[in-house]
Amino acid sequence: MASPQHHPRRHLFDLNDTAANTNHHTPTKKPKLSSLSAAELCSEFSHHDPAVARINNGSFGSCPATVIAAQRRWQLRFLQQPDDFYFNVLQPSILRSRTLIKDLINADHVDEVSIVDNATTAAAIVLQQTAWAFAEGRFNKGDATVMLHYAYGAVKKSVQAYVSRAGGRVIEVQLPFPVRSNDEIVREFRKALEQGKSDGHKVRLAVIDHITSMPSVVIPVKELVKICREEGVDKVFVDAAHAIGCTEVDMKEIGADFYTSNLHKWFFCPPAVAFLYCRKSDETLDLHHPVVSHEYGNGLAIESGWIGTRDYSAQLVVPEVVEFVNRFEGGIEGIKKRNHEKVVEMGEMLVKAWGTNLGSPPEMCSSMVMVGLPTCLGISSDSDALKLRTHLRDCFGIEVPIYYRAPKDGEVDPITGYARISHQVYNIIDDYYKFRDAVNKLVNDGFTWAALSD
Amino acid sequence: MDEDPRANGESNDHSNPSKKPKISSSLSLITQLQIQQEFAHHQDGVARINNGSFGSCPASILAAQRRWQLQFLRQPDSFFFNYLQKSILHSRTIIKNLINAHHVEEVSLVDNATTAAAIVLQHIGWGFAEGQFHKGDAVVMLHCAFQAVKKSIQAYVTRAGGSVIQVELPFPVRSKDQIIAEFQRALVIGKANGRKVRLAIIDHITSMPSLIIPVRELVCICREEGVDQVFVDAAHAVGSVHVDVQEIGADFYVSNLHKWFFCPPSVAFLYCRKSPLSLNLHHPVVSHEYGNGLAVESSWIGTRDYSSQLVVPEVLDFVNRFEGGIDGISKRNHDAVVDMGEMLAKAWGTVLGSPPDMCPSMAMVGLPASLGISSDDDALKIRTHLRDHFQVEVPIHHQAPKDSKVGARNGNNCITAYARISHQVYNKVDDYIKFREAINQLVHDGFTCKVLSQK
Repeated sequence: MASPQHHPRRHLFDLNDTAANTNHHTPTKKPKLSSLSAAELCSEFSHHDPAVARINNGSFGSCPATVIAAQRRWQLRFLQQPDDFYFNVLQPSILRSRTLIKDLINADHVDEVSIVDNATTAAAIVLQQTAWAFAEGRFNKGDATVMLHYAYGAVKKSVQAYVSRAGGRVIEVQLPFPVRSNDEIVREFRKALEQGKSDGHKVRLAVIDHITSMPSVVIPVKELVKICREEGVDKVFVDAAHAIGCTEVDMKEIGADFYTSNLHKWFFCPPAVAFLYCRKSDETLDLHHPVVSHEYGNGLAIESGWIGTRDYSAQLVVPEVVEFVNRFEGGIEGIKKRNHEKVVEMGEMLVKAWGTNLGSPPEMCSSMVMVGLPTCLGISSDSDALKLRTHLRDCFGIEVPIYYRAPKDGEVDPITGYARISHQVYNIIDDYYKFRDAVNKLVNDGFTWAALSD
Repeated sequence: MDEDPRANGESNDHSNPSKKPKISSSLSLITQLQIQQEFAHHQDGVARINNGSFGSCPASILAAQRRWQLQFLRQPDSFFFNYLQKSILHSRTIIKNLINAHHVEEVSLVDNATTAAAIVLQHIGWGFAEGQFHKGDAVVMLHCAFQAVKKSIQAYVTRAGGSVIQVELPFPVRSKDQIIAEFQRALVIGKANGRKVRLAIIDHITSMPSLIIPVRELVCICREEGVDQVFVDAAHAVGSVHVDVQEIGADFYVSNLHKWFFCPPSVAFLYCRKSPLSLNLHHPVVSHEYGNGLAVESSWIGTRDYSSQLVVPEVLDFVNRFEGGIDGISKRNHDAVVDMGEMLAKAWGTVLGSPPDMCPSMAMVGLPASLGISSDDDALKIRTHLRDHFQVEVPIHHQAPKDSKVGARNGNNCITAYARISHQVYNKVDDYIKFREAINQLVHDGFTCKVLSQK
């Protein structure tokens, strides 16, 4: 029976080409589509609210119209004849996406690449395995998990739900912010490992962000993984939710045991899709998707390929996304580089306008930058930060997350609020001027928190 | 706070949706033509008599879903802060009313029944790991429980040290009394040697072979026999049988909404009766809301597309365009599928696998013995053959006869396979005639599964 539109076998053929391609930065050998013109670029993101200066790509990402249209085609295909889709189309298509990702991240085997909804799910997978190890007596009560103090809130809760609950000890690495260099991070990390190993305990798992969320800083993961190996840490899990499309992602370079990144943040996929890389090793990893279905026991990648009836379309558009990014000069590398340069430029423009500073040097920034807000705004709690964010959204049409940085003893008039600005291909300079002017207005109008409370 | 009454589920339109269907003056009953248009995206030429596996979703609901998706893409932060939670609450409130739950906190939305099973079973797993349950304490399930659920039991219960009691149900079956008697017997035997039964997992409508199980009676038996908690896996139930969680009396009850309730893939609800024991259920994908109760945890499990959970109000409007609303739809589906089942059984000289009152909107129809279906593998092969060569989509169940004298018969031979036919509002008589003719053709051609194996 002839299948409509994309015949899966044609793509399987392309897949062989892709697998043979050694240059993982340009995964497709198909003839390049023409470069995107400015007008086309605009049209790809015309579904974004035009009244909003959307300088927060970091939170929820973005997806171009071409990819949304591709996703709809996949969704429709399932709805047309779901049984046929399930038996004949779904698994080869997921495999094709996994293979493209494997090439993008320089993994050795496609078995090492599983596709899941998001980094939050990946964390649950890794941490549930840790919980079992405690429950089954392979780890001793009191063995440690080390994570960054700035680890993402959801991941912290997952560590609590699976590790603490099972009897593991949790050690947080206190990172300085603002931060001046990688050395500051490395120093604190070593201290935390020492603590973990005290009293004859083992550090069973280190959870390290590649790019922290709030405040956002690029962490020297390669160095930290090396230190973990030197110090006898069992396993290293890199939570790189932001990384792909935003910084260098090379599994062999970084050397972690587990590595996850969202594809819907900086890699133009629709919500939501992420990969979890699990390095092949002699020891059976015994990782499982927590939603257990027919494929239980067939390896994490296969288990994750069917977790009950749902819409898998976001996982299937990776080929279309690769085509999209290759329409830009330099592909994803070019996009990354330009985003980084632009966001640093905009960050420096803002700090100059406001008389503040960036939260880290440019080389520790990705496509996001922490920009100090004027101290006279008097941000003095997480709640203030959220209120200001809401105020900027509701009254100025600006979407940007605000981070509250608690002052330390002895600091004189420190900056207590930082805005995390993002730059993605759809951003224009006016977005940042709008933000600059909004903050200037708040300052000039003698902004007070009392005024916000009504 | 929020001025929108719908946020509190207080809209008059939705307060008693399962009672009198509201037909507003601007909307008359849906016509046959409109129904066909709503499902025009279904593949032409395919006799789609398998609504039970993946469900179906009308075009107007898909359009509503797109609107929700676009709203998120347009300004995701605003959507996250201002719309998502209250829209999920609205859906949960409608479901609460639909199933006669007492508190909206008892209703959580998850992807599918498979996810709900993982939630309940992980909770049991912790019970063993944390010492509240002892190694060897048991979990009871039906022998024909859905395979994914069986694997989940393996992953969370067996692995944690629990034992499993399987209840074999008779099939073909003549009455629900057979089921009740068998369940009682198996449970008593299973509890021998003082084993404590921590959880019973009972299907409301089994998948393969498909039957309505007398859950209310079985839950009573569980209580009498001292089973700690009862989880009803009702993946197929909502939209095909009446669901009243007070009547059924289980601790946990899950049903998919994308199978028989016209939601897009995918969405299900997990009902957890309020009790001290239910407090410690968690969604396995842990996020910011951990510890705030299962319903709230489930409403944010990281960035994803929640749109299928948000169209429940639109789906309610859709079903209320039918005479009798969802109750009318399920009754007509049941009557039609039994009709069609009897038509097929008569044409092939076989029988139905159960009496009509044990059929929901699906029926198990015996296939001619001459087809020689003698394994699960054969059943799958013939299903594929029907799809590829006859454009008929229908799942086939292989049933090994226990005793050739007692098993259902087709002429002088035993029936070893049953087709599970479904009927949903988009189906037509021609779909079943096409199936009838396909099987007649195969029989006429002297086709057997051995032929398929040689390919």
